[in-house]
Amino acid sequence: MQILNKNKLKAALNKLAETADVFVPAARGENSGFYSWKTFDQEKDELMLEALNVYLPPKNVLFPQTERMYSFQEEGSGVVIKESFEDSSPTVIFGARACDVAAIDCFDDVFLTRGYEDTFYKSRRDNTTIIANACYQPGPNCFCASMGVNPTDPATADIIIRDTGEDYVWEARTEKGTALTQKIADLLENKEVKIPELQAFSKNVEYDGVAAKLKGMFEHPIWDKLSEACQTCGICTYVCPSCYCFDIQVKSFGEEGYRFRCYDSCMYREYSQMAGGHNPREDAKERFRNRFLHKLEFFQERYGKPLCVGCGRCIVACPAGISITEIIKEIKEA
Amino acid sequence: MHQCNCENPLLPTIVEVVDIKDETSDVKSFYVKSEEGVPFNVMPGQLAMVSLIPVGEGMFSVSWQEEQEYLQFAIKRVGLMTDELHKIEVGQKIGVRGPYGNGFPVEDCQGKDMLFIAGGIGLAPLRSFIKYCFKHREDYGKIQILYGSRSYDDLCFKDELFEKWPQEKDTEVYVTIDNAEEGWDGHVGFVPSYLEELNPNPAGKIAVTCGPPIMIKFVLQALEKMGYSDEQVITTLEMRMKCGIGKCGRCNIGSQYICLDGPVFNLAQLRELPPEW
Ligand code: SF4
Ligand code: SF4
Ligand code: FES
Repeated sequence: MQILNKNKLKAALNKLAETADVFVPAARGENSGFYSWKTFDQEKDELMLEALNVYLPPKNVLFPQTERMYSFQEEGSGVVIKESFEDSSPTVIFGARACDVAAIDCFDDVFLTRGYEDTFYKSRRDNTTIIANACYQPGPNCFCASMGVNPTDPATADIIIRDTGEDYVWEARTEKGTALTQKIADLLENKEVKIPELQAFSKNVEYDGVAAKLKGMFEHPIWDKLSEACQTCGICTYVCPSCYCFDIQVKSFGEEGYRFRCYDSCMYREYSQMAGGHNPREDAKERFRNRFLHKLEFFQERYGKPLCVGCGRCIVACPAGISITEIIKEIKEA
Repeated sequence: MHQCNCENPLLPTIVEVVDIKDETSDVKSFYVKSEEGVPFNVMPGQLAMVSLIPVGEGMFSVSWQEEQEYLQFAIKRVGLMTDELHKIEVGQKIGVRGPYGNGFPVEDCQGKDMLFIAGGIGLAPLRSFIKYCFKHREDYGKIQILYGSRSYDDLCFKDELFEKWPQEKDTEVYVTIDNAEEGWDGHVGFVPSYLEELNPNPAGKIAVTCGPPIMIKFVLQALEKMGYSDEQVITTLEMRMKCGIGKCGRCNIGSQYICLDGPVFNLAQLRELPPEW
């Protein structure tokens, strides 16, 4: 098998960064997430290839927090669209975990299927190569296996690396992965190493049957109880690798400007507020219920899988201590 | 149905506003045209995103497509973006993108008597179906239109309502306003109660309704009482929309996106959804 010795990791990242923008899991100040190797500060930043999980998922790579869509220019009563900003620069996500790769699968379902392709997403996606880092020692808040994700074998990754202690086993899975592997071929060695065994999860939840059960629970009093502590701050949606809701806004200065999209959150009142005054999800409870039903029932109905990949980030981030695994348990028991 | 006629479905086509007509004191009709004629073809009940490019976008039902001549949008002034839209003048260039959504089941309704029930600006989406029926008159049976607004001024499309439509073959038009006012000798009262008075027989009929949520609620109750089955009742829903293509998330009711799977549903389909409409 092909392996990359950990001593050559930085050399490999440097090499990959010659032809692509490479995003790596890293700690930066108080925060952690996926940052560009170009801006990586060797003194202050810290690679976090072992972390489960970094605070922010890699979703910003394929779906930036704010993204320009097109620019325009006014001319009297006329207006012209100047440029549309599909980004096709080569990009690599290095060290994404299986949960985050599964979340990208969900994004692919949303942005690339059901009648329309979102060209902004597609352009980034087509030009991004995913190098996944298989998990063998689940973290304290990980429950991906409960949500149907295989932590050691993220199916749609282009390359899978497996941490054996001193080395990474390096396995290209797709054409994109093979092409990228060639760029660092001289850093790889052939060696037989032992692949670790998957350790037990400390967090488990029984998702089977939840979507079907929820179908009859829209008016259930449980939502009052579950949502009571929620402050509708939206952090859970921000840190979630599979939350994709966006807003479209405009920035104008003088005669020109651009339209852009940015993350939105179903937890906010404005999200579904109509211009005429009506809001179908006026109360926190209604918004909270919609979020969890979307994750556990609606997405399952529409795309055949839940919109939660068990990364545990929202459990860590929620200031109110709300946990999706506890919610699933309560639904099961209700 | 969900085919896009541009490469990037979120990019508007620039069109010119070739005419603006006051419908009421807060509703204006905008007639738009691209260099080729219409920017895209629309079926009755489909939506389009109207974009006052430097200001904002809003999703509206297309109230009519006249061949390859123009698209018409009847738009009520209800907020920031529509306020600005109401200030523009003929000759202004704006953006449109679409068409979005399923539209009315015009083919499934062939051979049926049609009952249209609308309140306020709710006539704008129904009008595309009404005019479609007139254009394909032989495909549809008797046509009944019941329309109400707060006052006489608030009635949209008055020339059609009082002049053109009543003269169409086998067509009845019933108009009501909420409160009596000077000069009005027509019916006074709310749409649902007028509907109960008229008591149109459900046999062979399809009822299509649109209006304020409270009106729809009572109209649906009245229709049920009169014996209309859930499959005979069609409505078109409104939700806040941004993308129009089932991606941005916000217009969902249950697992359905109103911009993509709707906005038109029959009552049987609606009863499958959570009661957020
Ligand atoms: S992070 Fe917690 S408090 Fe904030 S919106 Fe999500 S569930 Fe509510
Ligand atoms: S809902 Fe929570 S646990 Fe599930 S994918 Fe999103 S952040 Fe991770
Ligand atoms: S408007 Fe974006 S999903 Fe319907």
